[in-house]
Amino acid sequence: MATESQEERKDQFMTSSGISVQRVYDPASIASTDSYEEQVGDPGMYPFTRGIQPTMYRGRLWTMRQYAGFGDARQTNTRFRYLLDQGQTGLSTAFDLPTQIGYDADHPFALGEVGKVGVSISSLLDMETLFEQIPLDRVSTSMTINAPAAVLLAMYIAVGEKQGASGASLSGTIQNDILKEYVARGTYIYPPQPSMRLITDIFAFCAEHAPQFNTISISGYHMREAGSTAVQEVAFTLANARAYVDAALGAGLAIDDFAPRLSFFFNAHNNFFEEVAKFRAARRIWARIMKEEYGAQSKKSWQLRFHTQTGGSTLTAQQPDNNIVRVTMQALAAVLGGTQSLHTNSRDEALALPTEESARIALRTQQIIAHESGAADTVDPLGGSYYVESLTDEIERQVKVYMDRIAAMGGAVSAVEQGYMQREIQAAAYETQRRIEHREDIVVGVNAFTIAHESEPDLLRIGPELEDAARARLRDLRAQRDQTAVDASLRRLRQAAQGDDNLLPPILEAVREYATLGEICDQLRSVFGEYRPQHW
Amino acid sequence: MNRPIRVLVAKPGLDGHDRGALIVAQGLRDAGMEVIYTGLRQTVAQIVSAAIDEDVDCIGLSSLSGAHMSLFPAILAELQKEGANDILVIGGGVIPPADVRVLKELGIAEIFTPGSTIEDMAAFIRSHVRKDAGTTDQAMTDLARAPQVIDHIGLAVVSMEETVRFYRDHLGLQVVHEEVIPDQQVRAVFLQIGDTHIELLESTSDQGPIARFIAKRGPGVHHVAYRVDNVSQWLERARSAGLQLIDDAPRPGGQHKLIAFVHPASAHGVLTEYCQIVKD
Repeated sequence: MATESQEERKDQFMTSSGISVQRVYDPASIASTDSYEEQVGDPGMYPFTRGIQPTMYRGRLWTMRQYAGFGDARQTNTRFRYLLDQGQTGLSTAFDLPTQIGYDADHPFALGEVGKVGVSISSLLDMETLFEQIPLDRVSTSMTINAPAAVLLAMYIAVGEKQGASGASLSGTIQNDILKEYVARGTYIYPPQPSMRLITDIFAFCAEHAPQFNTISISGYHMREAGSTAVQEVAFTLANARAYVDAALGAGLAIDDFAPRLSFFFNAHNNFFEEVAKFRAARRIWARIMKEEYGAQSKKSWQLRFHTQTGGSTLTAQQPDNNIVRVTMQALAAVLGGTQSLHTNSRDEALALPTEESARIALRTQQIIAHESGAADTVDPLGGSYYVESLTDEIERQVKVYMDRIAAMGGAVSAVEQGYMQREIQAAAYETQRRIEHREDIVVGVNAFTIAHESEPDLLRIGPELEDAARARLRDLRAQRDQTAVDASLRRLRQAAQGDDNLLPPILEAVREYATLGEICDQLRSVFGEYRPQHW
Repeated sequence: MNRPIRVLVAKPGLDGHDRGALIVAQGLRDAGMEVIYTGLRQTVAQIVSAAIDEDVDCIGLSSLSGAHMSLFPAILAELQKEGANDILVIGGGVIPPADVRVLKELGIAEIFTPGSTIEDMAAFIRSHVRKDAGTTDQAMTDLARAPQVIDHIGLAVVSMEETVRFYRDHLGLQVVHEEVIPDQQVRAVFLQIGDTHIELLESTSDQGPIARFIAKRGPGVHHVAYRVDNVSQWLERARSAGLQLIDDAPRPGGQHKLIAFVHPASAHGVLTEYCQIVKD
């Protein structure tokens, strides 16, 4: 018999988190002293490694939720209605940067930014246009809004009121995760402490007035985009989650009153099995934290529900059609990892905002996985794979090491203030870049398999005329509204901010009077101050 | 002695994506430059005044929010107004090709889009900043380490068969590689001597470059190839020394090599090749 060659392509195979990958996995790889019930458990059973529902996608498919928003409210309303017509099942709103940082479209800082990365919303008037002919009691809407989340949520509730939809009938999610803004995403306004207060105010308000709304989407996505590893993504997200839970408990809320409305948001990156294992590990760790550390009684408090978006930073500007393939693999990893909702990126996003055609292909990718691949027909099909179970265990182990370190630093708020997560992510990002430049990592079409002449795809363009129109709309609004009522509402908001009352009622009142986003945020700025980052 | 190149890495506008800016800042520092990072949300005026106060040679602008067409030209205008338009301005981010062309027309020296390497940026900055700035002799030596070995010597031959007989049978060198390069109309045979090769070049047509070389100068030494760490850096170095180049940019040279030639007119009669081994 001929001897087989034992030569391998590399000295060492590693995941993104530096976990060493063995040649082959066998039963000894998952030797755990815990039983299957303790360590893995059936779908729908604690610790939910295999999924949070017994039937998963056999019962209902994940929500196909494509993040969209650009230009003015009218344009985005048209895109929303197009996506709903195409079979999308939930809305996801991208706001432009001035909106996300609490500036009206006519603020000097908004110059050049209006409508660029999302829709521009300066007042309730814009919000009414955004959801025109979309019944808010029948869609679920996710809003990527953080520092001014309370204001946009108030606007959403106010639009619902005008449509005749009660707070109880509204469903959706606000991102509302300020800690990761300091770490990775950058759309902060106020310093950490008052920002945490705004968040717990929202928890308390929604528990009573909008009980179906997910009050926060604790996000690892952006930290992964900033360059973290899979392990760091889970560790930092869950450490931040702990900080929100602690803040809410500190504000006097009962764990089972708000924990079921916590939701999560993760990235689906390239390393397929590591990603699947990451989602499974995150569910198990969170279930154990909630049950064992916080003593939550409700099963819903133990369940980590999450949205997934495929990894934007994995998309290449070179040979952009290759991105369709990357997105397909990433989306499949999210589905095999048991996501509750999914956004698939469009092929052209390393070049510009997606065109309608690109956005359609991205949605079709999900539909093909859902309806043609068979991947959705049984629950957790990779469960029991020696490799995937072993990776799940190893990710859990490494995540705990990070979380213990952050706990020892005094928790996530303190770790963020000390720049700990920022530095860890920066180091990982630099290492990734180094590996690519030295071709230790291959990026197809970028540092290997390149072509000399790239064809130029058609790209979506947002014109500057939009900014003028937005300024004109604001001028008209300010002329037509009841200024005395606006001023009075802003005064009451300021008083509330100086005290301890929940800020949502005065914000809602100001929104109803058509006070603008910028005016409301300015009141809070004058009381809370603004966050100034240090550089590490 | 000149000081190191100083670079301001800046985030104009409200964009919060700073992964690229932070990596570039760190990478340029590792490449021996002094880098100041502005942090997020800088206005045009803040960036220009920081650039002047810090006396930088280059501003690197990063934008992934689509506001580049408003913000980048505004920076150029402000620099002009302040009389600081000798500062090199480069940019990076999610910027469509059509915008890249416009921005370069307007005076942004180069735009580095996703997939660019820090090595390329560093080389670009080195070769484009004000001539009085930058690179000490030491830095230049680091940048383009003197070649340690002759990669190969190219010999123009009339008859491959007869020439191989001399090198292989008489001298006893081993033939290690043989190839035909159609677009150069040449057949090449490599013989090994130590870490170096003798490259025998026979023209496959009457009109090829080797045939023309022999017609003009007779058979014999055609070129000398020095093995270098980085062809791009050597091209920059040659350009700043005013050498006449045959290749403006590195090109693939077969056998995992990147190559470029200096014209014999600038190399005292010898066609000189930079040759870089590209590792898999």
